[in-house]
Amino acid sequence: MSPLELGIASVVAIVVLIYIGLYIPAALAVVSFLSIWLMRDNFELALNLLKIAISDNVMEYTFATVPLFTFMGLVASKAGLGADIYAVMNDVFKRVRGGIGMATVGANAVFAAVTGSSIASASVFTRVAVPEMLRFDYNPRFAVGVVAGSSVLGMIIPPSAMLIIYSFVAEQSVGQMFLAGIGPGLLLALAYITAIFFMGRFTPRFIGGRIGGGCMHDDQQPLSGAQIMARTTPTLALIVTVLGGIYTGWMTPVEAGAIGSIVALLIAVLRRRLTWPAFKEALLETGHITASILFLITAASIYSRMLGLADLPGVLAALLHNYQLEFLGVMLIYVVLMLFLGTLLDTASIILIVVPLFLPIIEPMGSSLVWFGIVTVIGAEIGLLTPPLGISCFVIKSSLGEDCGISLKDVFLGALPFAFVMLLVLVVLIRWPAISIGIL
Amino acid sequence: MWPVLRRALHGAAMGANAIGTLMVLVLVLVITFDVIARSVFNAPFLGAVEVVQFSLVFIVFAQLPDVVRAGRLTRSDGLLILLGGRAPRLQRCLHRCIDTLAGALMAVIAIAIWPEFIAAYQADDYFGTPGIFTAPWWPLKGVIFVSACLCAALFALRVVLGPDMAPTPGEPGGQESEHR
Repeated sequence: MSPLELGIASVVAIVVLIYIGLYIPAALAVVSFLSIWLMRDNFELALNLLKIAISDNVMEYTFATVPLFTFMGLVASKAGLGADIYAVMNDVFKRVRGGIGMATVGANAVFAAVTGSSIASASVFTRVAVPEMLRFDYNPRFAVGVVAGSSVLGMIIPPSAMLIIYSFVAEQSVGQMFLAGIGPGLLLALAYITAIFFMGRFTPRFIGGRIGGGCMHDDQQPLSGAQIMARTTPTLALIVTVLGGIYTGWMTPVEAGAIGSIVALLIAVLRRRLTWPAFKEALLETGHITASILFLITAASIYSRMLGLADLPGVLAALLHNYQLEFLGVMLIYVVLMLFLGTLLDTASIILIVVPLFLPIIEPMGSSLVWFGIVTVIGAEIGLLTPPLGISCFVIKSSLGEDCGISLKDVFLGALPFAFVMLLVLVVLIRWPAISIGIL
Repeated sequence: MWPVLRRALHGAAMGANAIGTLMVLVLVLVITFDVIARSVFNAPFLGAVEVVQFSLVFIVFAQLPDVVRAGRLTRSDGLLILLGGRAPRLQRCLHRCIDTLAGALMAVIAIAIWPEFIAAYQADDYFGTPGIFTAPWWPLKGVIFVSACLCAALFALRVVLGPDMAPTPGEPGGQESEHR
């Protein structure tokens, strides 16, 4: 087989092995290792590349953002910052039909700015927002759908693990990626809130809720100014420290992550919300998440080396050029491919598999690679909401517990309208790159 | 014999995990110290970058065996779950094949890194900027080697004992997959 054929066969083999259930880093590393060995007929070379990928890649300084922001997010959720913001948002939106849903979206958008993962958002808001919505007779499908849909904000609004991963693969600055995520994240939140408003108008049965218009929360006292202050100040302080520090250039993203962690710890300790076991659990969880993400990235770097040796991206670019595919045609293929992979793969794996293939095609077209990263992350995130493997939906199902009467199917069906809104927003972002990169 | 071996390997994984966990804390403290020293006292901690690099390797490779032990290595387990209900035998067989392949990969990594470790240890190689801050290479190569060996052994254990090595009471994080 020629190197090119080997390269194509390897990509197919990787996807098949992953679908079968092989650990994703193992699939990437094993297939790429064998492929390089066959391609060059040189075992030593393959072994050397494997060794370099494993031992040198992890030493990338910016990778420190992964454990730091993960830790910050975990401490912030243990400190109850998510629940606090949710209470305030509920107060703001309580007079509208579907108001608790809008509040969930709003709170998720704010909470996303202190956490880097959709999983954390999904589990926090399943526990806080779903019972509240069920208490007011919302349609269970809508209740879980809102949580699933808005949990995606966690990985778009900075700090976000996915933006960090992309910035490594595409060699972009983490700080710029973070800043570029703000506009699209806010747009998506706004789109969700608008969608809920229209659902309330045109399909009120999907939302449910106690009929009687007006004030659905009459049993709740409105929050006083002081209460609102007490509940928003810590989160705002954290956001200003982290994003402000990066934006003004006073801190690198790595430093912002460390300072953010310390601030989150201080908040948690001052409010007496952090027990010793919870602290240890946050550290342990941080380690596990960091080890699996960075090991995955390491394995993916062997894969992109293999792709380079096979010159697969070059051939793909020539092929697309032959068919005279315009920019929009390429983007269409790209988005469809991500949606397809999103049915079974997690976001990080999708990014690591498709970006090295498409980067050499997009780069000569003169588009901003920062913008391309935002499109990639949102496109790959739609997969979090779609069956059969929508990770956000699984997390929600497992956080709900067994005896709630809401099935996994309900979660997926509820999330579907939100996945559709995401797709629309993705189209808007592709059409108007300024939404992402205007801030830079 | 197997239960003893299993307990020993799991103990080693959790011990290594504790070291990695501490390194997360070290990372936070060192960078914070650097930021404060730099902006308040105008005296940056010159080795910050090297310490960050050093601790990253420790965090990842000291915790990897525990990730394997807890069954939390990233995977797409849709097909395996499906098979579990319809063809449990085939599913167990597939689990074993997968763990064999992953174990083999870890063994190859261990073999690839061993000569590096020996060379770095004997030559006393350093990284960093000479005169400002340097750290030896060998502990890094060492932790990768030990980690790869431990992972390979844990995968081998999964092949022998089957995928559902139920964690003994008291072991944290024993779920098969992070997706559930």
